[in-house]
Amino acid sequence: MKMNRREALKLGALSVAAAATMATVTGCNEGAKPASASKAGKKVCKHKIVVIGAGFGGLTVAKELKKRDSSFDVLVIEKNETFMSCPFSNTYLGKIAGVNLGTLVHDYAQPVEANGYEMLHAEVTSIDRSAKQIHTTKGIVEYEILVMSPGIGYNYKGQFPNWSDEKIKHIQRIAPGALIPGKEHVILERQLVDMEDGNVVITVPSDVKYRCPPAPFERASMIAAYMKKEGIEGKVIILNATNKVSKGAAFKETWKDLYADIVEHIDFATIQDVDPVSKTVTYHLADEMEDKGYKVKTVKYSVLNLIPNNISSPVVEMSGVETTTDGFKKVVMNGCSFQTKTDKDVYAIGDVVAHGIPPSGQTANWTGKQCADEIAHRLHGKAFELEVKKTPVKAGNVCYSMVSDNPEEAIMVTHDFSWDGSLIKGAGHVPKAPSGIYRSSATAKATRDWYGGIMRDLFA
Amino acid sequence: MDRRNFLRVVGATGALVAISPSTITGRLYASTGLYESYEKVQLLNAQGTPIKLADLKKETNYVFNYPYVSTPTILLDLEDSTAKDVKLKSDDGEEYIWKGGVGKERTVVAYSAICSHQLAHPTPDDSFLQYVQKDKKTMACDHGGVMVCSSHLSSFEAKEGCKNISGPASAPLASVVLEIADDDTIYAVGVLGPDKFHEYFKAFKPEFKKYYEGRREAKKKVKESATMVELTQYTKEIIQY
Repeated sequence: MKMNRREALKLGALSVAAAATMATVTGCNEGAKPASASKAGKKVCKHKIVVIGAGFGGLTVAKELKKRDSSFDVLVIEKNETFMSCPFSNTYLGKIAGVNLGTLVHDYAQPVEANGYEMLHAEVTSIDRSAKQIHTTKGIVEYEILVMSPGIGYNYKGQFPNWSDEKIKHIQRIAPGALIPGKEHVILERQLVDMEDGNVVITVPSDVKYRCPPAPFERASMIAAYMKKEGIEGKVIILNATNKVSKGAAFKETWKDLYADIVEHIDFATIQDVDPVSKTVTYHLADEMEDKGYKVKTVKYSVLNLIPNNISSPVVEMSGVETTTDGFKKVVMNGCSFQTKTDKDVYAIGDVVAHGIPPSGQTANWTGKQCADEIAHRLHGKAFELEVKKTPVKAGNVCYSMVSDNPEEAIMVTHDFSWDGSLIKGAGHVPKAPSGIYRSSATAKATRDWYGGIMRDLFA
Repeated sequence: MDRRNFLRVVGATGALVAISPSTITGRLYASTGLYESYEKVQLLNAQGTPIKLADLKKETNYVFNYPYVSTPTILLDLEDSTAKDVKLKSDDGEEYIWKGGVGKERTVVAYSAICSHQLAHPTPDDSFLQYVQKDKKTMACDHGGVMVCSSHLSSFEAKEGCKNISGPASAPLASVVLEIADDDTIYAVGVLGPDKFHEYFKAFKPEFKKYYEGRREAKKKVKESATMVELTQYTKEIIQY
């Protein structure tokens, strides 16, 4: 916030100490004094608009707000010191030429400098909507408008009720989900580099909604490409709790053509348990002939990528806004909007929204732009309706999956967005290349171009 | 603008004579700050002969680099007359007027072929951004006659100043202003609209090294003439969805 002189004087009169910490009261960027920052629970600043999460959605909404009106006072709260991308990260696991950790990691200094919002690196610990306060590990931040773009968490407890906290922690160390960037991808990459012959097992969440629905299948393709290149003997086994495969026809065509001996996709395989000592996964395979309707099966792994069911980031629960009753607990929206149904001063974007649009990086970017439009019009006192309410948005989402190396080839899906009267919905379309098959080297180039472009959008 | 008009304006007031010709041209095209005049450059074919309007094939993507040696421009004879005086808006909300195509039927247009969204552009290796003919459809747009960027699927109405009409792009493509001489040869004189040159030079350092011996060279302005070829000769692979 830009505190006015009278307020500043009032504060100054209250106590000498307050005057001493003025710099941190008016803005909580990284220049904040550690003395006041160390005391969580102390008010450190107030901003007109506070965004929680500096991922694809959060960085977009912050940038777009400043673009629409440079006088907007925008603070982004982000727990990580550096950014790492989940989109495109499977090419890192597949060891595609020219892709390394630096491809995925970006610093936040650049976008803060370029776009003029502020950023506070802190973890949100609770949200008090009645007082309009966000409690963080570096103190209390007050807001007038809050945008939640916190992304996902994992729901191990819901999926594996019998697992102890210790077991969950252990599984996260040895078989990370690698949908939340950072250490998880680094662990998985190390394990793949270290592995000798054997199987890589990837499990697909059993809940319908999870971040980046093609991710497990792209990952399987990229790891298969890697094993082929390295001459590693073994299979990539996908245990899919349902029979749904995003971009299914395109992935299955690729597996048949390129990885017939490597990729094995198993439908209706519900993971039950993992034994890290014997490196075995136990799962139930649907079988109507059996008494219980399933067979108990086991599979040995060298590397396990257990992708657990997803749930909205804990930030959503902290905010107390209404969520859907499914496992994901999506934020219920206020009609054709990115405002929450519960609180007109709280917005949500990215993976957590309850609209029927895919949880992808590109969609998060789109929702960020829509939300910035809504908030900017509101702050300027102008009426506003999202464009999608009137006319369908062509290719609102485009999502590429790299499926092979030497030559690099990829597949894609686009989603047209439209308003159906209760939700914004996406209708998917998976095109074939002119060659008559789905994958193509042109799409692989497009994959790289898309990633470079969206990184420029967020960071440059 | 033809030569006669140009003279008429100059003749209208004595004061203007003292101003350099490019400044006058600039005033004529720009009602806002979104016009910038660059070197006046004649378009030549690969053999070095000046190209005339009559040489242009209809609805064919032609490329020349302008106003910098590394910034591609796409020139088109759209066959149909373009709209006139189209009001366009940059993503900063700044408005400007696109006057329309040149040539007898106002069918010839040129646009800076750097996507206003995330800078996709034709390179010698591949092109994600180009004109799609009227009878064709793409995933980006439900009709043809548009410039399409197949990187993030944005489209731009070619006959209306490349106004952004679908996809994530939130601004038009900048247009390259053309002048036709009495002998029907074609000149590029400036750029109208929200150009992306600054961002472009920031973003593609390795590419400039590969194609233009580095960024310093890539940032040089084109002078006197530019070679214009069909996109299929300019790039190895056209990528379009």
